[in-house]
Amino acid sequence: MKKEYIYSFPRMGYSYIGFKAFFEAMDKKVIIPPPRNQEVLELGVRYSPEDMCFPFKILLGQYIKVLEEGANILISLGGYGPCRFGYYMPLHEEILRDLGYKFKTITIEPPIAPWNIGIPKFFHMLYDLLGFNSPFKLYNAGRNAVYKMLYVEQLEKKMHYLIPREVRKGETEKIFEKALDILDKSGGKNFNKIKDAFNEAKALMDNIEHIKNDNLIKIGIVGEIYMVLDHDNNLDIEKKLINMGVDIDRSLWVSSWTLHRVIYRKKHREHMMNLIKPYLGEFIGGDGQESIMNTILYKQKGYDGVIHILPFGCLPEISAKEILTNVSHDYDIPVLSLSFDEQTGEAGFVTRLEAFIDLLLQRRGEGLNEIVSGY
Amino acid sequence: MDITIGIPRGLYYYVYYPLWKSFFDYLSIKTVTSIPTNKEILNEGIKYSVDDICVSVKCYHGHVKKLLDNKNIDYVFIPRVITESKGKHSCPKLIALPDLMKNAFINYKNKIIEGDFYIGQKEKKLLNEFLKIGRNFDIEDKEIKNAYRYAKNSFKKFLNLKLNGHNFLQALDLWEGKDIDQVEKSDLLIGIVGFPYDIYDDFLNGGLLEKLKTLSVDFIVSDMIPQFILRKQTKKIPKDLFWHQSNVALKAGLYFLAKKEIQGIIVLSSFGCGLSAIYTRLLELYNKKTVKKPLMIITIDEQTGDAGLQTRVEAFVDMIRMKLGEL
Repeated sequence: MKKEYIYSFPRMGYSYIGFKAFFEAMDKKVIIPPPRNQEVLELGVRYSPEDMCFPFKILLGQYIKVLEEGANILISLGGYGPCRFGYYMPLHEEILRDLGYKFKTITIEPPIAPWNIGIPKFFHMLYDLLGFNSPFKLYNAGRNAVYKMLYVEQLEKKMHYLIPREVRKGETEKIFEKALDILDKSGGKNFNKIKDAFNEAKALMDNIEHIKNDNLIKIGIVGEIYMVLDHDNNLDIEKKLINMGVDIDRSLWVSSWTLHRVIYRKKHREHMMNLIKPYLGEFIGGDGQESIMNTILYKQKGYDGVIHILPFGCLPEISAKEILTNVSHDYDIPVLSLSFDEQTGEAGFVTRLEAFIDLLLQRRGEGLNEIVSGY
Repeated sequence: MDITIGIPRGLYYYVYYPLWKSFFDYLSIKTVTSIPTNKEILNEGIKYSVDDICVSVKCYHGHVKKLLDNKNIDYVFIPRVITESKGKHSCPKLIALPDLMKNAFINYKNKIIEGDFYIGQKEKKLLNEFLKIGRNFDIEDKEIKNAYRYAKNSFKKFLNLKLNGHNFLQALDLWEGKDIDQVEKSDLLIGIVGFPYDIYDDFLNGGLLEKLKTLSVDFIVSDMIPQFILRKQTKKIPKDLFWHQSNVALKAGLYFLAKKEIQGIIVLSSFGCGLSAIYTRLLELYNKKTVKKPLMIITIDEQTGDAGLQTRVEAFVDMIRMKLGEL
C-alpha cells in the first residue's frame, strides 16, 4: 500500500488560510497546527534549548502536535543567516528525530555554492514540494493561495480601521471572524468562488456602522515578523490597541515581506541602508534593520508612536532595541519595546500599553483617558 | 605620532588582537588595552547595555566605557567583524557592535573608530578597510599598505604559534616575546568548546582554565584546531552553521568526540548567547547518538559564582578519572 503523505507548515497569524488553499488545490492533505496554547507551549519549552528564541519553541511544540495527529511532511522556509531562523528546520529535525518521530522535511531556500551540490538539491526540493503536476494546476493553486492571502490581509486592514470607530462595541470582531470563515471555506479549486466569497465577506464588513474620525492616535508596529504577525503569540496586541481606540499600522505583512525581501530585494535594501546609515552601518539579518527603518518612516508619516515587538533572545532585534533608543531621541518619536517569552503575563502588559497611549495623548496635548474609556 | 588608541579587551580581542596591534605598532601609534575584566567593569557594562543581550557583549560595554573615560586615550578602536570565512557571518550583535557602542555612549561618538573586517574573502576588501582606518590619522596610503603587510605577516606568525599547540594566551605571550611556563604532561586531556571570548576571559568564566590547571588536567581549546580538520567534520551535521565562530566550536567539539585521547568535553557558553544554544544541542544529540563521552555544559552569567563552579569542575574531573579506573 502506498503511504499517504500529510503535509503541515508553521502557523503564522492568518496566513494559514492561503497556504491551506495551495495544498487543497494540489489535492494534498494538510494539517494546520493548533494555535498557541498551554500544552503547545509546555512541549516546546521542554524540548528546546533554553537560549533559543521564542518562535523556535512555539514551532517545536506545534510540530510535535501535528506529528502526533499524523502529519509526515513538514514544510518550512530556510536561509543562510545571520539570523538564526535559517537553522530552525535542521535543529527541529534533530530534536524531533531524537524524540522518535518519523517524518520528512522540505526546506524552501535558494540554492548556494558549491553549485554542483546546491542546484540539484534545489530542484530536488522543488520536486518534493510540487511533484510532477501540470503547469496549469500549479498556476491555479498558486493563484488561489496568493489571492486568499491578499484577501485576508484586506479584511484584517478593514478590521483595524473599523474597531476604533465602530458604534456598537465588539460588533466588528464578530463579523470579522464570520468573514474569515466564509473566505477560508470557499472555493477549493475554483478561483471565481473565492472571489465571490471575498466580495460577500467584504460586504458584511462594509455594512458595519461606524463614525468617521481621522484624528485618532496613530501607532506603528515594527519588529520581528513572526511575533508581529502571529496574534496568538503577541497576546493579541493589535486587537488590544485598537480596542483602546487608537489607529494602528503594521509594518510587516506576508505580501509586503514577499515584495521587499524576495522580489524587490536589492532596491529595498539600498533604500533602507541609506536611511539608517547614521544608526546601523551593516546588514544584521532578520528584521532588525527594517525595525529601525520603519520607525523613521513612521515619524515621517506623522505617527504618534511606535511599538517594537521582539521575541526574547532574538539576536538582530536586541541590537535594534539598543539602537532604537537613540532613533527615538533624535527623531522625537516614542518607542515602546516589548519582548515576549513564555512568561509574559497579560495584566502587566495591558497596563504598559495603556500607559504608552496616555503618554502619546499627553504629547498631543489632549486629556488623559478620554479616548481610552472603552477598555 | 602622538596618538593613543584604546583596544577593549573583549570579544574579538581574543582572536584578532595581534593583527590590530602590529598594524598600529608599525604606524607608531600607541595602543592601550583595557585591564582584564573585573567586577567594576562588568557592572558598568550591565548599566549601559539593554537587559536581554548576552553577558559577553555587556562586559564589552564596560571595557569600552573604561577606555572612553581615560583622558590619555584619544580614540577607541571598535572592530566590526562581518565575515571570517566565505559565506560565514559573525553573530548579528557583533556585526552591529560599533553601532551599539555609539548608541550606548552617544556623547563620546567622535572618539570611536570603527573598522569593517571581511576576513577570509578578497584581499582587497581587507586592505581597503585598513586604508580607511589609517586615513583617519592623515597617514599616506603607501605607509598604510606597508603597515598592512607587516601586520598580516605578524599575524601569520601568531597563527602558527596557535597551531603548534599553544592556546591564545600562551601564543600571545610568545608572540610578544615573553616566556611561558612549561606545562607538565598530564594523564587527562579535556576538550574545551566555546567562543574564544568566553574561554579566555578569566573573570567571566570564573577562572575555569586555572581550575583545570590546579586539578592537573591538560586541556585543548576549540580555537586551536586547524581548519582542514574542522572541514572534515561537516558531514556529521545536517546543515553547515552560518556563523564562523559557532562553526569552529561545533566542529571542534565533533572532532573531540571522535578523538580517543580526549576523555571529556566542557562546553562553555554565556547566558543569552543564541548561537551557542544551537551548537550545544547539536553536540549533545550527536554525543548521545554515538560515543557517549562525558560532556558538561557550563553557562556563565553575571552571577557566576566561584564556589559552585569549583564543585562542578571537580566533580566532572573526578567522574572521568573514575571512569578511567584511576580513583
